Amino acid sequence: MNPLEILQTYWPRLLDGTLMTLQLTGLGALIAAMVSPFLALVRVQAAPLAQAPLRLYISFMRGTPILAQLFLIFYGSGQFRPFLQEWGLWSFFREPFNCALLAFALNSTAYQTEILRGGMLGVNAGEIEAAKAIGMKRLTVLRRVLFPHAYRIAWPALGNEVILLMKASALASVVTVFDIMGRTRQVFSRSFDFSVYLWAALIYLCITALFVLFWRLAERRLSPQLARVPVPRSRDAPREATSIARPLPDRRP
Amino acid sequence: MSERNVILKAEDIHKRFGDTEVLRGISLAARKHDVISILGASGSGKSTLLRCLNFLETPTSGTVTVQGEAVLVKHGRPVDPRHIERVRARIGMVFQQFNLWTHRTVLENVMEGPIHVKGVPRAVARARAEALLSRVGLDTRATHYPSQLSGGQQQRVAIARALAMEPDAILFDEPTSALDPELVGDVLRVMQSLAAEGTTMIVVTHEMTFARDVSTDVVFLHEGRVAERGPPERMFTRPETEAFERFIAG
Amino acid sequence: MLELFALGDAGWGDELLRGLAITVQLALTTLPIGLLLGFAVAAASLSRFRPWRLLGVGYTTVMRGLPEILTLFVVYNGAGLLLNAVARGLDPDGRPIDFSPFAAGVIALGMVFGAFAAEVLRGAFNALDDGQLEAGRAIGMSRVQIFRRIQLPQLWRFALPGLGNLWINLLKDTALVSVIALNDLMRMTKVAVGVTKQPFTFYLAACLVYWALCIVSELALARMERHANRGVTRA
Repeated sequence: MNPLEILQTYWPRLLDGTLMTLQLTGLGALIAAMVSPFLALVRVQAAPLAQAPLRLYISFMRGTPILAQLFLIFYGSGQFRPFLQEWGLWSFFREPFNCALLAFALNSTAYQTEILRGGMLGVNAGEIEAAKAIGMKRLTVLRRVLFPHAYRIAWPALGNEVILLMKASALASVVTVFDIMGRTRQVFSRSFDFSVYLWAALIYLCITALFVLFWRLAERRLSPQLARVPVPRSRDAPREATSIARPLPDRRP
Repeated sequence: MSERNVILKAEDIHKRFGDTEVLRGISLAARKHDVISILGASGSGKSTLLRCLNFLETPTSGTVTVQGEAVLVKHGRPVDPRHIERVRARIGMVFQQFNLWTHRTVLENVMEGPIHVKGVPRAVARARAEALLSRVGLDTRATHYPSQLSGGQQQRVAIARALAMEPDAILFDEPTSALDPELVGDVLRVMQSLAAEGTTMIVVTHEMTFARDVSTDVVFLHEGRVAERGPPERMFTRPETEAFERFIAG
Repeated sequence: MLELFALGDAGWGDELLRGLAITVQLALTTLPIGLLLGFAVAAASLSRFRPWRLLGVGYTTVMRGLPEILTLFVVYNGAGLLLNAVARGLDPDGRPIDFSPFAAGVIALGMVFGAFAAEVLRGAFNALDDGQLEAGRAIGMSRVQIFRRIQLPQLWRFALPGLGNLWINLLKDTALVSVIALNDLMRMTKVAVGVTKQPFTFYLAACLVYWALCIVSELALARMERHANRGVTRA
């Protein structure tokens, strides 16, 4: 094993891969962050029947391996090639990056929706009533009271979800996307030097560490110190847990 | 009673929760400068009645009229949500649990309504808020967060928040019930000064001293109905019903 | 379209079922190993001896922070290289040995499961009610009895949701081992796709099977939770 030599020779590729991972993770999380508030509102306020398709989608995303979801989109789209070509969509589905991004965005949206829902359910009903009692329109109540509180409550769990998304993004390498994992496998196949995997591990751990730091700093800035609401950190449920407190739906700590 | 002066009127309000009928035909009217105390045992429907006045609860039947405009209800739901919002902007509410917005400072709490409901410019709202906080004795805490204040202080901020909307009347839902005894006095004093200035107030309370000394009318609810009502001087010295007599005794 | 899934030579039904069997086998084999490891690491993390604690925390931090597929490749390739280095040492002209993908899967997924399980168990242990423990001591129970009769049932009740969640994730993660050529459900699906050229149909079928596995697991876990929580009233 020649860790230093590997780094010297292949650092441009690893850097490339790192940027790709960040891109994939960042975009996927962002898309999910934009869509999830609307879906979470549906989950919290809509009638049970109206929620059914949404709940089905969320259950599917949480009940199937991401790899299978990825293959379903990337390879599966091939089965509909003529149809997609006719609609001008084939150029999108042909690219592994796009398919991976779509899969991760769909997946993260489902999880973020449930996390946000948990946050919304944790908001003090009294504060919402006070906003209504002062004559605020429904939209204003959502904007000024419900969502600010819901995000603060859900903040740690959301950060957790981004980290999980980044770990999942490594699967993009299986459909030939050259992220960190993709580049690592590439380098290993040429050099057979095991240390490239250790460098990859280090890169992932560093990204995670930096992100956690940033996320916690942001949390402190968002929550005036004493308005902090304690949030369960351990991972429980996709199902409802019946013991202890009702935790936020979450994948892993 | 001159109709022109009636700010808030409730006529034959019924409210049912599932199988239980909590309000069984309550009528009430608040004229300008009235301070009405609503008394009653737990479960007599006092809070529910109050919450029906600003439609945090919707009456099962009966009519609520605010400033001469009746609020229309159909199939147990308000017909015009905009009307409800307008009503709420004119009728303030102070809650038992204060319900200050914990993610905003004291000053921001008081400014929130004027800015985001009435569209008052920020600078004007700020000036008014500072004056109101001064008035309730909390100008030094303007930049603090609610969690840094005692219960009594939070409630006074809540009163300032209601006042900031320049309401036609203020509803108080057991404003001192959640406070430690030592802090009750501060809040009652603020409420007393409001009454002295002529603020129209409807107060659900357990504080007999307030009901007796500050209110203009006392309404006693018993098992969902108005068992007795009248001026405090008469009510407390010559109760006409056994229920009320027992209530003020125990 | 359903003929594609027929059993026997007509369709891919039994190939997929065989793959499913491997999937379930992998998960069931990993579970006890992961749990044992989880207990060990949790014990280390709770130890009064600082080096153990550091080891425990370090282990969970690293294993939870790395993508599972990376861990899998590290184990597979690492063990493979190690094995071959030893083999060449013993028999320089021999063929290179393949490390079993199944074994690599069990080890890698077991290590990951162990790390997450350790955190769940640690949380559960910290949530134990000391009052009940004292009551046990007061009536003269031995330490072992206290652990078995008082702490373990509570631990189980607190940890069950978290561990159940980990089991479901384990079921899903087994799909990763298809990448290193284990003939699990995922891989057999890939084979079928290669021949029939119907990727969407087959991958959707695979998804539905995994989904069913997860739902069945959730139902079973809900039952176990109800049983574990008998006699407990929610606050």
